[in-house]
Amino acid sequence: MIELLLKSSDEDKRFLVFLQLFFLFWTVFGFFYFAVEHWVIAHFLDSLGSRLPLYISLIGLPVSLAMFFTTNQLVRWIFTGTMALTIAIGLAGALYHLAFNATDAGVSVFTIAGFLEAFTDPYRPVLAALAHVNVGAVGLVVGLTAET
Amino acid sequence: MIPALRSAPTPTARRIEWLRVVMMFLLLMSWAMYPVELLIVGHWLDSWQSLVPFILTVPGLIFTAWVFFFDRSTNWVRQAFIWTMWAAIIVGLVGGYFHWVWNMEDAGGVEWTWGYAMEEFHGYRPVLAAMAYTYMGITGLASIYRAR
Repeated sequence: MIELLLKSSDEDKRFLVFLQLFFLFWTVFGFFYFAVEHWVIAHFLDSLGSRLPLYISLIGLPVSLAMFFTTNQLVRWIFTGTMALTIAIGLAGALYHLAFNATDAGVSVFTIAGFLEAFTDPYRPVLAALAHVNVGAVGLVVGLTAET
Repeated sequence: MIPALRSAPTPTARRIEWLRVVMMFLLLMSWAMYPVELLIVGHWLDSWQSLVPFILTVPGLIFTAWVFFFDRSTNWVRQAFIWTMWAAIIVGLVGGYFHWVWNMEDAGGVEWTWGYAMEEFHGYRPVLAAMAYTYMGITGLASIYRAR
């Protein structure tokens, strides 16, 4: 996409690529940070589910980086698919965090008090899982609006 | 943003507006969710500083919704939105810093050694949650940049 920015003759096209590169930078930053963060807090237990956020970060980081240096259609679709997967993992993670917190606290998420208790339990932060959704959504819109 | 998307004259302009609409939607969701989150966690202590994140969500939500749904051209609306985003960037940085320092003070004093500082980075007060405001501000500024 950097090449696309340099070669764009039309002002609108140049600005579109500029915006995409700006948001792509945040996607790369997000994946890099998530990978480090999951490693620091040791977010890989025995279950496969607990490893998925780290795995998707390790896949998302190089794929997002590759987008800077190519406009290849295949790479673009792999990137877009990875972003969709990141959103799915983030949503699933938020639900699992919520459910596991509720189980630990012995409350039901279908009551307001129980939901709030499970939502605010700092041990498994629900919003942190939703950060994956944000990064995935930002990447997804870059992938879907990319011109070839 | 929505009116601009509807009236985009070229495919490239439409892609730019799509990008802005998605980013502004994510920003709007953040401004809507943060006051709920702050309400749930009871983020209002005796100090006025602890009220700042909540207070900022009021202009944040109003101006983001206004720019998103109706009007991004009127000068005072643009300026109010842009200043609110700058405020979010600063509040996020200051909040992140104080969360970190207070975590260290609770643990045994401020000390900027790698292991200790990283441990307190993941302490009781989430540093990244505060810095999400900075990210939101940057997203808002990027979304309105060159948008008339």
